[in-house]
Amino acid sequence: MLTDRPPVETLETDVAVIGSGGAGLMCVLHLARAAPDLRVAVVSKGVIGKSGCTRMVQGGYNAVLDPADSFDLHFRDTLEGGGYLNDQELAWTLVNDAPRVIRELETSVGCFFDRRPDGRIHQKAFAGQSFDRTVHRGDLTGIEIMGRLRDQLFRIGPRELEDVRALDLVRDARGEVAGVTLLDVRTGRFALLRARVVVVATGGSATMYRISAPAREKTGDGMAMCWRAGLPFRDMEMLQFHPTGLLAGRSRLTGAVLEEGLRGAGAYLFNAAGERFMARYDAERMERSTRDVVARASYLEIMAGRGTAGGGVLIDISHLGVEEVERRFPGMVERTRLIGRDLARGPVEVSPTAHFQMGGVIIDPDCQTVLPGLLVAGEDAGGTHGANRLGGNGVAESTVYGARAGDRAALLARERPLGEPDPAEVAASVERALSPRARDEGASPFAITRELKDLMWQDCGVVRSREGLLRARDGLARLAEQLEQVAAPGPAEANYAWQEALDVANQLTVAALIVESALVREESRGAHFRDDFPARDDARWLRTIVLERGADGAPRIDLRPVALTRLAPAATVAGGQT
Amino acid sequence: MTDTVRVTIQRSDPASRSRFEVERFAPMAVLDLLLAIQREQDSTIGFRYSCRVGMCGTCTLRLDGRPVLACQTFLPPERDAVRLDPLGGLPVVRDLIVDTAPFFAEWARVTPYLIPHDGLDAPAQIRPDAPERQVIDPALDCITCGACYAGCGVADYRRDFIGPAALNRAMVLIADSRDARRGERLRAVTGDDGAWRCRYIHACTAVCPKGLDPAGAIRHLRRWRVEDLDAD
Repeated sequence: MLTDRPPVETLETDVAVIGSGGAGLMCVLHLARAAPDLRVAVVSKGVIGKSGCTRMVQGGYNAVLDPADSFDLHFRDTLEGGGYLNDQELAWTLVNDAPRVIRELETSVGCFFDRRPDGRIHQKAFAGQSFDRTVHRGDLTGIEIMGRLRDQLFRIGPRELEDVRALDLVRDARGEVAGVTLLDVRTGRFALLRARVVVVATGGSATMYRISAPAREKTGDGMAMCWRAGLPFRDMEMLQFHPTGLLAGRSRLTGAVLEEGLRGAGAYLFNAAGERFMARYDAERMERSTRDVVARASYLEIMAGRGTAGGGVLIDISHLGVEEVERRFPGMVERTRLIGRDLARGPVEVSPTAHFQMGGVIIDPDCQTVLPGLLVAGEDAGGTHGANRLGGNGVAESTVYGARAGDRAALLARERPLGEPDPAEVAASVERALSPRARDEGASPFAITRELKDLMWQDCGVVRSREGLLRARDGLARLAEQLEQVAAPGPAEANYAWQEALDVANQLTVAALIVESALVREESRGAHFRDDFPARDDARWLRTIVLERGADGAPRIDLRPVALTRLAPAATVAGGQT
Repeated sequence: MTDTVRVTIQRSDPASRSRFEVERFAPMAVLDLLLAIQREQDSTIGFRYSCRVGMCGTCTLRLDGRPVLACQTFLPPERDAVRLDPLGGLPVVRDLIVDTAPFFAEWARVTPYLIPHDGLDAPAQIRPDAPERQVIDPALDCITCGACYAGCGVADYRRDFIGPAALNRAMVLIADSRDARRGERLRAVTGDDGAWRCRYIHACTAVCPKGLDPAGAIRHLRRWRVEDLDAD
């Protein structure tokens, strides 16, 4: 196929931002403010500002605004929720910057969040938090945040590369970042985007699970390209299941989250026998326990045969009254009515749904990585949330770290030369992307995706074991072999089978990291639950699992003690207790 | 309820297959039909979606002629045949995918971002029952899906009408007391290509998948123009 390879056009910019969700667009905003003369290009696999998950934020945004609340409280909640596996400097930065970013969203981006009767910003109750600190716009907050951030681009005018997939980071002879290879989804043509600084902000890859919440685009593209470029990762075993994903049969709607605020507002969870089963798992916090605990409880109820016919449990908030539920959760009510249910009037079937990746690329609080010229922000980065993310800390992370990445990129772009990309790296990247086009007959990329989703759900899901994880490892190897024979015939233009093949290649890369990390952690903490090691064990496992790509391409494992720089667990937990 | 649904899709390449029979399940959205076709029958079919919960506004298409979000439109049990076309009035990229650039060009024309008053350095204290919020809040959840623009008979007739979505956005900014450009904005959107071009066909309001009322927004603009500017 070498002779058929289409020509690669070269583009040039100062800063390339990969991803156009909350992190990507906040980065662009801050770049424009700090260094308006810099050339900035936004690369988005889908529609700019309409891809990824910030757009899908329902519940809201955690920020300390009330004088009765404090940074210390938000920080403690974040660490308690995260099983103390967090990078404490990242978590502290999140807590400190969040109020500033809320102010920025309100006063210069143009967002308007819901108000209290006196006109100050309203903050609602979310699970796992000691204070009502979640800022929101109704129950569909992401529309307001992403809509207004997208509007800002009309003011700023960055170069918009829409429907353009970033393939690989490319380096120069010094081994520093020199740009990124691209594939234009609409035309099927390749390009090389040279840049002084590259910011990766594409989001995670929870869509690799059968029941999952995120948007279509979230296939771990950023993580996979960082892995191929040799960056170290952390906490990859930590994949969050949101406890209340809507069940809608075979519809793609299945897995869509019914927001956290429902439990914050007092919703009950019942099993098929009508028991409020949380009493068995967290009698004190009940339904307002953290996501990891509630998701696992639901899963165990379902596995114990106490689930509904549709394979779920029931969420019920109708005791608040029809009017109240309709007023406070209009988006959620509408979503259930689409499929003939009614959240305002009765129970609705839900299941744990794969939602968010806590693990990711190792960064410092300025989003810098070990690769000079590369910044990573948002879900692609690991450490802020530790073993479990609090509801409302996700959009806070994207926007806080997107803003920081923009500030840092503005400084770096001034001092870094435009590197000369290694032609061998460019050629290898294009070659890899063309592989599904090399044959007319072969495995269907959609079939591989489906198998991956089943495999991860069964063997690397809410409850894990060594036996299952070994099965998952074998299964992933088998799927990787199938992928080598994948075929995406038809035109090169807007060929979504080809795109699916590239998506699932990235997902397989990230899935392997999840499985390998999950095998290493022989305890249960946060989102990671091993039924062969059901207890949390701080004595042995208050350690971060770091993965790096070895010379043979397989992950090398390194265990690092968590640096308890600001706060240690009140009581260390060792054996016998979960 | 039938076991299958017959689907006819307008394809860009007339040689492509355009008729499909899809196994029915329930609940089944138009998006589910498309995914089933793509996965089981014809992987080359072009359509777009992202969030599948009515928040991104990228899966807009015409179902039996009417603009809808594919992800939010579920098939009633009695429906056994559907026709899917790309949104009208926009260039087709491929099959059901359209180029929304003309829509966003109109959106950009209304200066769609807040231009805050000097000194707005903290979230404004505005009560939820303030008159401006009564106007703005119900108009706020636009997802720029383009359904109203494609459904508007006036926008379709001559492509220089700002159109319902962008006028709705302009109305929100004009009503927002945090914004410093009320007068300028009002002038800009109440010219020949703006609010006065509307003929109150109300197609925009009828098709909006978020239940917004762009026609109502246009009425506000006309009234404010008369009250604010023409009184000067």
